[in-house]
Amino acid sequence: MIVAPLFEGINQVFLEVAQALLPLLIFFGVFQVLFLKLPRVYVINLVRGILVAALGMALFLQGVNVAFLPAGRAIGEAVTAYGHLWLLIPFGFLLGFLTTYAEPAVRVLGYQVAESSSGYIKESLIVYTLSIAVAISVALGMARLVYGIPLLYIIIPGYLLVIVLLFFTDRDFVGIAFDSGGVATGPMAVTFLLSLAVGVAAGIEGRNPVTDGFGLIALIALAPILSVLVLGILYRRTRGEEA
Amino acid sequence: MLQEIREEVLEVVRAVFPIILIIVILEVGVLRAAPSDLLLFLLGSGMVVLGIALFLSGVKGGLLPIGDAIGSELPARGSLALVIAGTFFFGLLTIIAEPNIRILAGMLDTASGGGIPSGSLILVIAASVGFIVTVGVLRIIYGFPLAYLFAAGYGIVLLLAPFTPPDLLAVAVDAGGVTTGLLVIPVILALGTGVSSVLAGRSPLTDGFGLVGLAALGPVIGVMLVGVIYP
Repeated sequence: MIVAPLFEGINQVFLEVAQALLPLLIFFGVFQVLFLKLPRVYVINLVRGILVAALGMALFLQGVNVAFLPAGRAIGEAVTAYGHLWLLIPFGFLLGFLTTYAEPAVRVLGYQVAESSSGYIKESLIVYTLSIAVAISVALGMARLVYGIPLLYIIIPGYLLVIVLLFFTDRDFVGIAFDSGGVATGPMAVTFLLSLAVGVAAGIEGRNPVTDGFGLIALIALAPILSVLVLGILYRRTRGEEA
Repeated sequence: MLQEIREEVLEVVRAVFPIILIIVILEVGVLRAAPSDLLLFLLGSGMVVLGIALFLSGVKGGLLPIGDAIGSELPARGSLALVIAGTFFFGLLTIIAEPNIRILAGMLDTASGGGIPSGSLILVIAASVGFIVTVGVLRIIYGFPLAYLFAAGYGIVLLLAPFTPPDLLAVAVDAGGVTTGLLVIPVILALGTGVSSVLAGRSPLTDGFGLVGLAALGPVIGVMLVGVIYP
């Protein structure tokens, strides 16, 4: 009896996976015939990898559809029905911290920064800085939702700060900083936190699920960018101006 | 391959465990969910974990080598037009294949009740990423400073933001973070290091960086432009 709801709509998911991957495959096929001309055994291996990826994508999308999206929405709606909306703010902080701290990509980023600063900035410092930065972002995003603060009021100062910091940070940190924006917005943030926010927005009178529910991911992406730019400034200061 | 998948599963479990635990606590404590609902959630979470692990190992075995091969083949041909066309389409098609984008589109359909056409949104996002990643690859080839590119890009975002309709504004800024998902990050990084390593005098470590950040910036500008032009 649990099997039927678990695979509900799976045909649609398979269709979506095919729509997603076929164009890339055709492009590769054309490239292979015209330019690459890779050996046959190699191509067979690639195709096998793509098939595994397709299966993984189908399982992932289906799992998200039956588990994370409904859970996020239900919890969001339950919290709004319960009253005490401010609880969402510490809850957001906790979720933001835990997801970032557990994210393997954050450790890879920490390693990269440690390398670029020749060990001056420790890997653990990055992991904690990013986790706290993302925690603050998610809390801020929840506060925006609860008190109905327009997204522009947060986004404009945030992006302005990015541009200002850019001119003071160490050159080697620029690329890493912007790349790290993508690190924190992993599949969990996108699926669970976004559907939670949409659920909350749908539950509060006078909030629009699209205008108010969306926007959280942008704040999460901004946190690591700002943090790494600041770390780059600190590094440049201590290293001393050479140029 | 099996060994690889097993390692991926462990890594994914570590990453998603805190969230799953919190959701279970909330489902039991706050929602008082029925055991069958809880079981459905746990089985669904298992599918997510296994799905991500399979996807990532498939990406490593199939899609990454393609990104690398195309990234090193393009500049080696010595034709600028080919580099531009190749990178543009490769970037565009990678976005179409990104699982995160599918989730964003689905969520948008539910939240807006179909008011914002998600199919065309995917195409806008894909074309913007294709465009900006091409600019990023040209940057690696000609070697102008990354900071100027980002300053200009975020400057454009600041100019467009006040004129973008509010519902598209929220979607636009989120589209950036959503784009850089399970597929895009590794494939775009491979493309960047592929291009950098072919060109003499470019270090794959420092010059390969920045492409993912650009890929996250592109859709913000693209969706905002659409919102400003067609309010």
